Amino acid sequence: MDENKFDHDKSPYERPNFPYRCGRGALWRTPCFKGPKIDGSCGGTQDCEPFFKKGRWSCRREKRYGGSCEEGPGPNGECSWQRPPCAPRKTIRANRGQISLLVVAAILALLATSQALNPDGGGFVSISDAGPLSKAHEKFTATQGCSSCHSAHGKGPVGWIKAVFTREDISVSCVNCHSFGGPDSIPHNNDLAKGREVMKTECIMCHREHNGQRMSTLQSTSVQCNTCHKNKFESFTKGHPEFPEKYPYFNRNSIKFDHGSHLNKHFENPKFTQKAPSSCIGCHQVTLSDREVRPQAFEKICADCHGSQIKKKEMVLLRLPEFMKNHIDHEALTQACNSPAHEAEEEFLSVSTEMPALISTFLLDVPEDDPETYEQPLQELIMAMTEDSILSVEDLINTQTETPMAHKLLTGLNPEVLKRAACSWGLNLEYEPPVEAKFGGWYADMLEVRYKPMGHRDPVAKAWVEFALAVSSKEGDGDKEARAVAMRDQVISPKEGVGGCVKCHAVSELADAEGNKELKVEWRYKDVNNRPHSQYAHSSHIEIMGKTSSCSNCHILDGKAEYMASFKSFDATNWSSNFASIKRKACVQCHTESQIVQDCQTCHVYHLDPGFKKKMHSGNKQIAERLK
Amino acid sequence: MKKLWGYIAFAIAYFVLVWVWTLKVEDSLGYPEFISGGGLFFIIFFLCLFNLRKRLPFLPLWPAHKWFLLHTVTGFLALFLFWLHAGVLWPKGLYVQILSILFYITTLSGIVGLIIEKVYPHLLTRIGLECIYERIPRDIAEIRNKAERLVLECTEKTGSDTLAQHYLETLGWFFQRPRFFLNNIFGGQNAQTWVKEQCSILERFLNQAEREYLEQIFALAETKRKIDFHYSLQTMLKNWLLVHVPLAAAVMTMVIWHLIVIQVFFN
Repeated sequence: MDENKFDHDKSPYERPNFPYRCGRGALWRTPCFKGPKIDGSCGGTQDCEPFFKKGRWSCRREKRYGGSCEEGPGPNGECSWQRPPCAPRKTIRANRGQISLLVVAAILALLATSQALNPDGGGFVSISDAGPLSKAHEKFTATQGCSSCHSAHGKGPVGWIKAVFTREDISVSCVNCHSFGGPDSIPHNNDLAKGREVMKTECIMCHREHNGQRMSTLQSTSVQCNTCHKNKFESFTKGHPEFPEKYPYFNRNSIKFDHGSHLNKHFENPKFTQKAPSSCIGCHQVTLSDREVRPQAFEKICADCHGSQIKKKEMVLLRLPEFMKNHIDHEALTQACNSPAHEAEEEFLSVSTEMPALISTFLLDVPEDDPETYEQPLQELIMAMTEDSILSVEDLINTQTETPMAHKLLTGLNPEVLKRAACSWGLNLEYEPPVEAKFGGWYADMLEVRYKPMGHRDPVAKAWVEFALAVSSKEGDGDKEARAVAMRDQVISPKEGVGGCVKCHAVSELADAEGNKELKVEWRYKDVNNRPHSQYAHSSHIEIMGKTSSCSNCHILDGKAEYMASFKSFDATNWSSNFASIKRKACVQCHTESQIVQDCQTCHVYHLDPGFKKKMHSGNKQIAERLK
Repeated sequence: MKKLWGYIAFAIAYFVLVWVWTLKVEDSLGYPEFISGGGLFFIIFFLCLFNLRKRLPFLPLWPAHKWFLLHTVTGFLALFLFWLHAGVLWPKGLYVQILSILFYITTLSGIVGLIIEKVYPHLLTRIGLECIYERIPRDIAEIRNKAERLVLECTEKTGSDTLAQHYLETLGWFFQRPRFFLNNIFGGQNAQTWVKEQCSILERFLNQAEREYLEQIFALAETKRKIDFHYSLQTMLKNWLLVHVPLAAAVMTMVIWHLIVIQVFFN
């Protein structure tokens, strides 16, 4: 090979940036000197363009292509070296440009087609699909498509341009269905900042969509909490405040159960040792535990010792008191009672020396210790009972409360018994029941009409307790109010009250929606800790530490606490728990950097009462109907 | 080499900057995708500028070899930024999946191209012959003409057509156009073996005069073999861009559409 073949006068200058190359060279034949023209036509049909000078044509073939040829140009100026034209081919560079343009055009066409064919999104051609929605969201977007959340969707180019310059808050779409216990766009949905200025929140700060079947939530770390919170949390030992004073026993128990006296006194008593539970799980339901480890039902854990006590605590509705004079129309009485003719006593001597029952003195609004005042109204009541039996008492009860309660209070009271007792009392006689009342319920005996509770959850006993609390909360004249309070104190007395309900069930003063305070019995077990942003899983802790002894790791009896004294008042806020408050160090024992996770989210919940709006349920119904 | 480490240090610093910024925004409940996406878009845009730079050789826009080095380093940087932005290797959603696969193929073609650019020039230097890619058709035609002239001359002068017959049956195919393309690009020796074999099997059927012609033809075949080697390797050096550049254009188009969609739906 000639080493100097690339010299300027020996070879042509290659221009690979030209769009075409010689067709002959492409077929591995000798390419022509000139190469193709810029428009892609063959430029090598002749070796040179002869030059006309001084009346004759001369050859202009360049030296590097062999110089002037021997034949020279023809008489008409045509080159002697003519050849048929070739078909020039595109250079690599031109091909690359063309392919690039084609690819870009193909993508633009695909985008345009997907937008034109399926502007609402969905389906294979939706190339703008940002990813599948989570399982929870894929159904409700089925009808509206992307515009369920993205308002700009399907609004055409003008809408898109507008959207670029308009700020859109997607959270607005979220709260169409999702509801919270407080404002949507303030931190924690709760006015915890108390007037301080806080950042407006958006759902997409933490929640992300288009990530597949599972709703994706950004991994929340303590660092994110520290963005707003003053106490910069690093670990339980560093940055976490000490637990509040009463933690976690903030609310007074709804059921009075003195753990101290039971564990240290009663369960140690040889009389009850057999019935006493061996550990906490004897009473508390570990299997269903979560935030609270609820105690089991009364029948399972209390009834063995306390079941019989309920039946012993009877209530006296009416008692025949001592009368000084007889105001009863004797003739009318014998007629009402259909009793044989009987001559009235000339000198009246009351068969009873008792005082009237507090319930009846309250109902009649008479003093219980002044026979001259109460005897006439009471005798009128007895007379009415002989004629109308239970109706007379019912009328008296129903006038005491806004909502009639007699149907609950007098459930099971046999009108015949009441009438017979009234007839006997009208005749200044003791009522003699045919047999002793053994099984509970209403009965009349000698000078009284009594109620004997049948057991736990006795509806009549419950109703009387509620009635007593309701009427004592009502404002009235001084005497009436005092009688209501006296009656209430008797009915809710732990020792003498009907069924002894209030021995275990706390009575608390609660405010209704309008701020009116009223006394309520806490019939049901109530969660002790209702802090909405905190969570605690007893189950996992019990699982790790064992069922029998794990409770006492955190719940330590406070021997000095005046637990039962807390229930003497109706104020539920002022109370002392049976247990000493739990300190942070109890958690730090295990939740350290090297052992167990200790992120903020381990114990705290961001949202306040997350739920769904009703609209969503109706929407579901519509979808279900359409599917049918 | 110093420059390369400088560029790598710059790329690492850029990535760390974007990453830390992303974490900071994520921690402050912002939208980290905007930060990582912005950082990635800037790098992809810079990568595309390399092609523009090659179209403007007359402007003093930094030497091309430095551009190439920086293009290579930022190409890898783009891959890491892509993972940072997507959060996963394989994102969900048809659009981003198409974008991802195009991005991955572009990156892969770039890596293959980088290997080619680094390995082939050394192989071409070692073969001991220089030739311009665009002139290879002319060179092959020239060699072919010379070989055919030698065959004719041999026939005329020796009166034997043994060499001519052999040329028509075997060597003619070899001189026709570049051969052994695939074998050459993988560094094989098939062409050399084939040429030697074709000449050696004929040698014992020739007289002394014919052997002299055969030696000349063998020398031409050797040159042709080297040109074929050049052709194969230079074709690869030029044509890998046929994959890389159109794919890069496709990625850029889809990235721009992605930006538009984000601006419209996530503003």
